[in-house]
Amino acid sequence: MIEIKNISVKIKEEDKLVIHDLSLTIKDGEVHAIMGPNGTGKSTLSKAIMGHYKYEVVAGDILMDGESIKKLEVNERAKKGIFLGMQDPTVIDGVTNSELLKNAKQEITGEHINYFDFIKTVDNALKNLEFEEGMVHRHVNKGFSGGEKKKNEILQLKVLKPKFIILDEIDSGLDVDSLRIVCENINQYLKENKDASVLIITHYPRILEYIKLDYVHIMNQGTIKKTGTMELAKEIEKLGYHSINDIRENDSNE
Amino acid sequence: MNKIEVKEEIINIENDTEKQIEKVSDSDTKTIYNVGENGWLVVYLYGINTSNVVEINLNGENAKVEFHYNMINYDSNSYQITVNHNCSHTESNIYNHGLNVFDHSLRFDINGIVKKDSKSCICNQENQIINLKDGHSTILPNLLIDNYDVISSHSAFIGKFQEELLFYLMSRGISRKTSYQLLIKGFLLNGGNSNLLKSFMKQIEKV
Repeated sequence: MIEIKNISVKIKEEDKLVIHDLSLTIKDGEVHAIMGPNGTGKSTLSKAIMGHYKYEVVAGDILMDGESIKKLEVNERAKKGIFLGMQDPTVIDGVTNSELLKNAKQEITGEHINYFDFIKTVDNALKNLEFEEGMVHRHVNKGFSGGEKKKNEILQLKVLKPKFIILDEIDSGLDVDSLRIVCENINQYLKENKDASVLIITHYPRILEYIKLDYVHIMNQGTIKKTGTMELAKEIEKLGYHSINDIRENDSNE
Repeated sequence: MNKIEVKEEIINIENDTEKQIEKVSDSDTKTIYNVGENGWLVVYLYGINTSNVVEINLNGENAKVEFHYNMINYDSNSYQITVNHNCSHTESNIYNHGLNVFDHSLRFDINGIVKKDSKSCICNQENQIINLKDGHSTILPNLLIDNYDVISSHSAFIGKFQEELLFYLMSRGISRKTSYQLLIKGFLLNGGNSNLLKSFMKQIEKV
């Protein structure tokens, strides 16, 4: 379970507060979505949870299974089971996908890899994601199309088996077929890992038609303004974010 | 550090010949490559705390060179490479990567020269020096082109590994130390054959 308790987040270099007093609890097995217009702090929230170097949590706390992760290094948070599927995955020239996956798996589990199991897992994931086998020997995200980059994030997810998954605009830049493949793989992962929970960050409700949701949160001006179900996402699609400018009381799930 | 001995070598690539050279240099060297018509030269040169001078002469039409220089610098060293496009339709693609480990100096002089009567040439160079500490690094990317019909590009970067790269690797559970190891290996061995480069790999592990 992840508990975000009244956090405020600032950009370190600019001293600018991006998130104000935001609270959110995501229980094991739940799927939540955060929607909101550009510049409301959605991606900042995801990066703050992961411990990005540009952001600082100046108030409140983030707990994973009851323990604060606020002071943990980025890799320690990943070891706790947090995974951030990025909006624009970084290109790492010279480091292959295979090297990344092997090192990450080894450090997360703290054990030497059983190569037979590892190769089997990777091969299955590649097949399900409709990737060619050779892609594991390509450099991380180098020369990848937008869709391939997003599918590569899901490949890592399936191999590293996190417990809490943040998907930051995983649907942006995906064509219809790629979106279907990505969502099918996320659904399959959730089916096989009943305790895993997901936070989807998106502008559009399209991805939410593929992945069954428990809650939708509307974020604006650095905090959650309203919480509801899929109906709320549909309302946003129909009426736009203007419709929540005269927001009613936050009836969050807490 | 006093450096006295400089090994000098001349390598000729005959017409219509392809040659790939992969070697580790642990002493200062000067090497001259002469590439003939339709000749194709690929070089991976790995320097371990050395100063190296390289001259490449593309002497025949359609002569091509792809040159990868990767070096680890512990003291103060320099590297100079000059590619002379002496004929038309010649092509050079030069990639120079240096890792400046301590607070010493590292200087790259990278020269691409296209003569007036050398038409339709391609002359590219990409240069990077990563400072692990606060070393003084310099790159001089020079393109001296005296012909209008040439495709050419150059880039130069001096700095540390980008924080975003470390963040990405660490967000997958990889420690800072291992992330650095992966980045250094990728930066210096990119495209090379690590099986043939045991002594260079040992240096990378040492760094």
